[in-house]
Parts: sequence; structure tokens; C-alpha cells
Amino acid sequence: MSGRVLVVDDEIEMQRALRTGLGYHDFDVHAVGSGEEAIREVAAWRPDVILLDLGLPGMDGFATLKALRPAVRGAVIVVSVMPDEKDKVRALDAGADDYLVKPFGTEELVARIRAVLRRQADVTAGEPIIRSGDLEIDIGRRSVKVNGKLVRLTPTEYELLRFLALHAGKPVTHTTLLRQVWGDYAVGDKYNTRYVVAQIRKKLGDDPANPRYIVNEPGVGYRLET
Amino acid sequence: MRRLAPYAVAISGVIGITAAIALIVSLAPVPGLSVLYLLLVLWLGARWGRGPAIAGSFAAFLLYDFFFVPPVGTFSVRGPGELLELVVLLAVALVTSQLAGSLRRTQARAESLAGESQALYELAAAGLRSSDISEVLSMLSRRATELRGVGRFALVAVDSGQPSGLAGGELTVGELKQAAWSHEHDRAVGVAVRDGAVQTVRTHPGATEPAYLPLTSGVAVIGIDAEEAEPDGLRMLAALIGLADLLLDRRRAALEAERARGLESSDRLKTAILSSLSHELKSPIASLRTGLTALAAPQAGLQPDQRQLLVDLDRQATRLDRMVGDLLALSRLEAGMELDKGPHDFADLVADASRQLRTELAGNQLVVELPEDLPPVEIDEVQAGRVLANLLENAHEWAPPNGAIEVGALPRGDMLEAWVENEGPPIAIADLDHVFDTFWTRRARGSGLGLAICKRVVEAHGGTIRVENRRRGPRFIFTFPLAMVRAVPGS
Repeated sequence: MSGRVLVVDDEIEMQRALRTGLGYHDFDVHAVGSGEEAIREVAAWRPDVILLDLGLPGMDGFATLKALRPAVRGAVIVVSVMPDEKDKVRALDAGADDYLVKPFGTEELVARIRAVLRRQADVTAGEPIIRSGDLEIDIGRRSVKVNGKLVRLTPTEYELLRFLALHAGKPVTHTTLLRQVWGDYAVGDKYNTRYVVAQIRKKLGDDPANPRYIVNEPGVGYRLET
Repeated sequence: MRRLAPYAVAISGVIGITAAIALIVSLAPVPGLSVLYLLLVLWLGARWGRGPAIAGSFAAFLLYDFFFVPPVGTFSVRGPGELLELVVLLAVALVTSQLAGSLRRTQARAESLAGESQALYELAAAGLRSSDISEVLSMLSRRATELRGVGRFALVAVDSGQPSGLAGGELTVGELKQAAWSHEHDRAVGVAVRDGAVQTVRTHPGATEPAYLPLTSGVAVIGIDAEEAEPDGLRMLAALIGLADLLLDRRRAALEAERARGLESSDRLKTAILSSLSHELKSPIASLRTGLTALAAPQAGLQPDQRQLLVDLDRQATRLDRMVGDLLALSRLEAGMELDKGPHDFADLVADASRQLRTELAGNQLVVELPEDLPPVEIDEVQAGRVLANLLENAHEWAPPNGAIEVGALPRGDMLEAWVENEGPPIAIADLDHVFDTFWTRRARGSGLGLAICKRVVEAHGGTIRVENRRRGPRFIFTFPLAMVRAVPGS
């Protein structure tokens, strides 16, 4: 078994398709149709990944996420039929680990699930050196290397890269970055993060059109490739 | 009767002083006792003004001349000395009364100004405190009719051409119509405000119709009796009208804000309908795609031709999803979707769009020509990204295999002018105007939505989009506003 996946979606057809598709990839799948059931199932079954649809009847996806987040050990991937960036940001800021816009193919979903599982494993291991391709961030020594060569970053640039690295693979919203790097007073000035990311990319030799390390998530934030 | 009282006092005062002088003279001969009259004249002038003072002067001169100037018992004036005495008395009377009069007028003026200021202050304060502006307008109207000569003071609000009486009693239909006319044409009837005072302008004597004065958001309907009205009252009236103007305008602003809130909630309704529609249309496609791709996995154990069929079906489902997405995006843009604008580097937009389309563009040579110091643009990142992605996709479809696609931009005034050019065939001249029309397409399988969305997004940002046939091929040229960015804090 590659892991336990709880599907929270009110469409029976979707539940069936996911159970079959994820089953072929060796996942153990349970499916429920409401937020209330999800909370019960999470407590009883302890899934590794929760696939949470935002458009649930009754208790909606955001409320379910809020209720789940403090207690849950598993990763939450939010799924929504609305390609609205505001919803994505809201879900990520509420503690979701990733989001996926419906419709999606099974391959894409499996890749996302594997990524969050891998990240969870890294976090549990408490790895002090984070790698993204040939980029190496040593949290203990506060050093950044590309191809083994030291890169000099300003404190702000390092803070931003470190925070992305600690959440490698997960999209980090502009709001979160601003709060983490500049403090609460800077919230709202997204051009700050863009400017600093551009500087980091220059120093790392990263091409925004073909990024190896930092990927822009339009309207949401940035993600460090793993 | 009242008017004559000061004169009576003047005469009797002079008689009294004459008697007093006679008494003094009978006891001992004292020269220059005529100065006693001066005291009286001074007092008269200060108390009642010129008339009584002059009357007192003459009376004093006559009595003094008659009783004390030799030859006693006649009014004859002998010699320049006595004439001078008369002239002095008269001059003192005139000068004192003049001074006293102007002093009295200044004082009265100051008192009336203080009263006016106090009244205006109270009304303005009430206007600021009270949420019920009509109540304050009624107070104002009552205050105006307390002025002398002002028989009536009504206020009419004019909202989108419709007059409605707000304060100062009922108006007839004719009066309301006249008020609306006056407001529409910004023409005062029968009255004008000049130099801070209201002036009546009568077309013919004895006219009794009210006068109409247009204000910013309404009309003042005033009944003035020009004979009765006092200058101070007319100034106060002008001040009251000024205040009424402000209050009416505030009332209009409040109404407009309320209306805007109504529109906003209808916008929310539109958004709610669109998102529910989007949910209804997309959910079945989502189940379809998840199911089809699940079965296409090798683990499902299907034959290669069966798997190929599933992959084809999934591609169709993806196309359908794209169509539905474009249609919904277009409806949202047409419903006046709010943009989440902020400063962005155009280079980042290009990079994101080309990353999104890297599979499609793999065969094409993408030439990006952007100046190093290109200023940032003020845009909604997601929506503007859609413009670039759609244009790049369009260029990819029309460019010959392995053909180059060029992207460039230059600042022009307060806009950024950008372009996407491909080496494909030129667009027929007759079609140049239709390229951005909804559902218009040159391809058999095109939806005709991509470029229509580009146009909507660009225009929502205040920019323009057009297409030209260049030597190499069609060039799509569009503009986005440049951002005003303050210096980025040290990093």
C-alpha cells in the first residue's frame, strides 16, 4: 500500500472514479460525501492524505478544513471546480498543503499525492539540508549552494528562500511570505515578494520562463520545486 | 406717533434748558450758558440721530435768541457772533448724530451678524449631526420664513429629473414643474444671488408667484416681498440657501451611495449564479475525466486500442472543459468582474505564459524582446496572463511548424505597448475587424473565444488591442497601464 487516501466529495461518480483510479496506483481509498462524515472518518481511520472538495453540501469545504486542520496528521489537498485564485489562497492560508482544480487527470492527482507524502516524510525526518535539483539550502549553517558553489544572499533573500525551502513543493501564498519575511506590517505589498524573488532568481541563475527552483503560481504565490 | 416722540423730547428738552438758563441768569449773570444746549443736542444726536438733533438745535437757537440775546424778545440776529453760535449748534448736531448713527448701525449690524452666524452654526451643526437631512431642511426653511419679507421658503430635490418637495410645505404640480425646469436649465426665475445677498428680479410689478433658484441637487422656491425685505435679511437668506445647497447635495450623495450598494449586491448575485453554473457544468466533466484517465492507466489491464480510445475521449473531455471555462470566463468578464490589480513585471507574465504552454511551444522558436528597464504594469496577474497565453497559443496555431514567435514590449506614454507576432499567413483585410468578435474563428475547430477574452481583459484594464499584418505575419498589439511603483524598501 502506498498510503491511505480519504476522498471527501459529494458526487458518487467522482468517488467511484477516484476509488478505481487511486486503487490502480496501490492507494487505500475511503470516500465520504460530507464534511461531518470526513471529520469522523479522519478520527477513526487516520488517513495520510485527505482529498477535500470545497463545494460540499452542508458544512462547506472551508469549514471542514478549519475543523480538521489543528488535529489532523495527514496532508490536505483541496480540490475545487472553481478556478478562483482567491479560494486557492484562502485554502492554503487555512492550512491546506496543496490545491488542484477540477477536472484533473488521475496521473496528475497521483503525482500531487506522492509529492505531499514525500514532503511529510521529509518534515518528520527533520532534514537540515533541503535540496531542489542542484540547489542546496543548509538551514543549520544558513548557507545556499548551487552546484556546490556558495551563493551570497541578503538576509531578506535568504529568509524568503528558507521559508520556501521549509515548505518545498507546497505553494506558499504572497500573504504568508510577506508575514514571515517582513512581519505583519508589510502584508498587502506583494511587489516586495516579486522583487526579492527576481533578485534570488538572478543570483541562482534561474530562468522564470523555465524555472528549475522557484515556480510562480499566478495569483497565489511561489513554490520551490522538489 | 412713535416717530414724533424724539422730536417732542427735543423740544421739551430745549424748553427745559431755556428755563434752567433763565433761572441761573436771574440769580447771577453767567456768560456762555448756551453750551448747555450743546449737551442736549449731543445727547439727542447719539440717542435718535440727525432729525431730532437738528430740530433741537433750531429750537435751542430760536429760544436762546428770543429770551437771552439782546434785544430780548425778538428773533433778530445781530452780528456775526450770534450767527456763528447758531452754525456751531447746527454743526455739532449734524456731526454727533452722524457719528452716533454710524456707531448705532455698526452695532446693530454686528448684533445681526452674530445672530445670523449663530443661526447658521446651529443649522449646520444639526445638518452634520442629524442623519435625517429632511428634518434639518425643515428647520432651515422655518428659519428662512422668520426673516422679514420672506413669506415662503420651500426646497425641492431633483433626482434624475424628478422633482420632489422636501421642506417648506406643499407645492403645486405647476410649481414642481417650474422647479424641475429651473434645475434642468440651471436658470433662476425672479431671484438672484449677488454679492452674498438675495436680490429679487421682478418681471412685472406686483407679481406674486414664487421665485426659483437652482442649486446643485435641487431648487429653492422662495416667496419674497421686495418692499418688506431688509438688506440683512436678504444676506441671511443667501447664507441659508448656501447651507440648503450643501445639505441637498449631501442627501444626494447619501442616496447615490445607497444605490451603489444595491448594484453591488446585484453584482454578487451575478457572481453567485455564474459560480453555481460553473459548478453544474464542470462537475460532470470532472467525473468524466477522472474516470477516463483512471481506466487509461496500464494497471487497468485494457488492450492498447481500448486505451487509445480512452485517451482520445479524455482529450475531448479536456476540450469541452476548456470551452466551458472560456465561456464562463467571458460571462464573468461581461458581468464586470472585479480585477485584482497590482504592479507586475511584464517579463514575469511572459515567462509564466510560456511556462504554461511549454509543451505546445516546444517546436517554436520563442523570441522575447523586452528592454531591461521596462517599468512594471498595473494588472490582474491571472487575467493578463490569460491574454498572453491565448495570444501565444493563437500564434502557435498559425505559425508554420518550427516558425518563430516574437514577443516584445515598449513603454509608450503611461501605457505599455506589447505585441505577439507569428510568421503565419496574413489575416484577410475584411477579417481584421472581426478577429476579436465572440465566436468568430478562422479555424474549423476553434471556439472563437480566446481572442474575444483577450479583448475583454485588455479593455477591462483600460487598454486596447488590435491586429496588423506585418511583413513576416500577423502582429497582435495590446496595451496595459504602467504601474506607479514607489521604491522597494531595502532588501
